[in-house]
Amino acid sequence: MGKYMARRLFQSVLLFLVFITITWFLLYALPGDIVTQKFRTNPNIPPEAAETAIRRLGLDRPILEQFWTYVTGFFRGDFGVSFNQYPRPVTEIIAERLPRTIVLFLTAIVTYYWAGFIAGKYLAWRRGKRGEMAITVGGVGLLTVFYPWFALMAIWLLSAQLGLLPISKFLDPTEWRNAPFSANEVFMRLFWTVAITSALLFSVQYAANKIRDAAPARAIRLGGTVLVIVGFVFYWWGAGGVEIRPFAGDIAEHLVLPVLVLTLVNFAGIMLLTRSSMLETMREDFILTARAKGLPEKAVRDRHAARTALLPVTTSLVLAVATVIDGGIITEFVFSWPGMGEILISSVTSEDIPLAVTAFSFIGVMALVGHFVVDMLYGVLDPRIRVSSSQ
Amino acid sequence: MSRPLLEVDHLVMNYTTEKGDVSAIQDVSFTLNEGESLGLVGESGCGKTSIAMSLLRLVAENARFDSGEIRLDGTDLLSLTDEEMRQRRWNDISMVFQGAMNAWNPVYKVGDQIREAMDLHFHPRLSNAEVEARISKLFELVGLNPAMMNRYPHEFSGGMRQRAIIAMALSCDPKIIIADEPTTALDVIVQDQILQELKKIQADLGMSIIYISHDIAVIAEVTDKIGVMYAGKLVELGSTREVFARPRHPYAFLLLSSTPSVTGPRRKLAPLEGEPPDLLNPPTGCRFHPRCPYATDQCATDEPPMEDAGDGHQVACWNWKEVPELGGLTK
Ligand SMILES: Nc1ncnc2c1ncn2[C@@H]1O[C@H](COP(=O)(O)OP(=O)(O)OP(=O)(O)O)[C@@H](O)[C@H]1O
Ligand code: SF4
Ligand SMILES: [Mg+2]
Repeated sequence: MGKYMARRLFQSVLLFLVFITITWFLLYALPGDIVTQKFRTNPNIPPEAAETAIRRLGLDRPILEQFWTYVTGFFRGDFGVSFNQYPRPVTEIIAERLPRTIVLFLTAIVTYYWAGFIAGKYLAWRRGKRGEMAITVGGVGLLTVFYPWFALMAIWLLSAQLGLLPISKFLDPTEWRNAPFSANEVFMRLFWTVAITSALLFSVQYAANKIRDAAPARAIRLGGTVLVIVGFVFYWWGAGGVEIRPFAGDIAEHLVLPVLVLTLVNFAGIMLLTRSSMLETMREDFILTARAKGLPEKAVRDRHAARTALLPVTTSLVLAVATVIDGGIITEFVFSWPGMGEILISSVTSEDIPLAVTAFSFIGVMALVGHFVVDMLYGVLDPRIRVSSSQ
Repeated sequence: MSRPLLEVDHLVMNYTTEKGDVSAIQDVSFTLNEGESLGLVGESGCGKTSIAMSLLRLVAENARFDSGEIRLDGTDLLSLTDEEMRQRRWNDISMVFQGAMNAWNPVYKVGDQIREAMDLHFHPRLSNAEVEARISKLFELVGLNPAMMNRYPHEFSGGMRQRAIIAMALSCDPKIIIADEPTTALDVIVQDQILQELKKIQADLGMSIIYISHDIAVIAEVTDKIGVMYAGKLVELGSTREVFARPRHPYAFLLLSSTPSVTGPRRKLAPLEGEPPDLLNPPTGCRFHPRCPYATDQCATDEPPMEDAGDGHQVACWNWKEVPELGGLTK
């Protein structure tokens, strides 16, 4: 597994270098002399200041040198300086935007994968029974709906009409006027909460599945889950989280609608995929073996059919990463969520090249990290990959 | 030794399909004694697997038992609740499946999959160390390295997987093991090794085995009794020696005379003509009559009952007395 991981990591870095090279040259080769347009002929900047800026930005250096400076800087966490928000470093802008995007999409992906997998599992198991048709048709309907329209309708219904949820944006500015925290700090806390809670819940399940006896396994599953929830409550209501909680609550409230909409339009895909994967697995000989061994139906379903049907579903996580990138732009736009997608559009249209290159690079990084995580997960779930690649 | 352990009594099973009923098991009766081995042979589609699955009550969803009983130690399995039946599976009857290559779940270690069965059926429960010791012993018995129990199925060759399946089938000390084409997918040498090992294990442990095969020669060496099936019916049942030396049913006769014998006298190969019947619309009377060289008018209308042809050798044919001795074919 270690060797496999190292090899995949190496491949990812290599792929990233190719990606960043192409992106950089494509953007710097945008039509028109950007340096002249943005600085020399810009009526708002005095000529001396323009020359200073050009020198400070390194724009007078040969193109290859500029590229080299950017790439080496990238790995040190220095992404250059924004053209439009000069002299603000790009690093600062990204550090502000990235957590917002990650929190939104990580929450959405975890939610809709979980919901889709559970729904698909039952759908396959109860095949031909009542309700299957309705759920399948409803799922396909949600899957094929025109997403921006659906998102707007959800905003209209839940926020504008019923007033249940905030309309858009990621926080309520009036509440934040004298906030002792920056939105970014809160986002980072939220991010770690989501990540740690998911990891703990996953570990509890994993540990419980390793226990041979049903009773202690159930005790561990229940006890572990309760413990994680208690820890969560204790942190936010008791320990370090008290001060920050109202602000986190505000952001969380703004998160509900986009996560809900993303879940509704995406979970059906996972559900149908799980369903067909389950149905295929249920025809396998080893399911017959499991039954012949006298296993209870629930064990056949969960331990044998669902566990194995999980493999193709995991593969599809790679596609989910892609959805974050293309759907992300639309989502952030519709919900006025100022994340990476918004930067991507505005930096390209306003020709803020350093910012645009960095935004694209981070999308690349997100895709590669997502891919890497999925590969590792797959390795954990499928011994055929884990074992053969460690030899 | 010869107490009847399993009695299949006039069993009738149909598969309901859109086109009508598929008559997969038609009035089949046989008994299996303790420590005995029975072979079921017949061409593809004659209902062998259907019988095997009926014994575990693991038949397809569209299967329907119309009449008859399957008694194990006197209890009719068909009248048990699902839960009662579940507890008997593997505990009383275990199975080596047809195409057992894919009988292992790829994501769990082989040893863990065997343990899964033992955790369910072994009373009192064994400790981890005891389970491991038992699996080691079983692996040695079937000729596998005990260290392999911590490996995944894809690390096993076909023959090894099959041996491991046999180890799993033995794991809960079943009374009966059903081996449905246990070696068909393997090469001849491995096939023979595994059958010989099974025979030895059976002699040591004393359980009963039902072997199923389309090839009578393969199982003749390891069985005490042989039942010949044709189109959902058991047409001949007798000791292996008897059936081999003097098949009474025309179908068994043609089957055996078309099996080249290496050790016995040279036989002229008499071909079996025609197609196996469609079980959606099985022939009336004797199901073999469209292909039978000995058929008379009666065969097309009346179903022949099982009759004793001497020494407990049973045959379902109106004209079994007309069937010559096998040797009679050699000229
Ligand atoms: N679920 C089902 N629905 C309808 N017909 C079925 C079903 N399962 C089996 N059959 C039919 O029942 C008959 C008996 O099938 P079975 O699998 O018992 O035969 P078999 O003797 O084991 O054949 P093989 O040697 O090919 O394994 C066949 O004609 C088969 O097509
Ligand atoms: S009953 Fe008639 S048709 Fe059937 S096997 Fe005997 S002779 Fe042939
Ligand atoms: Mg079969």
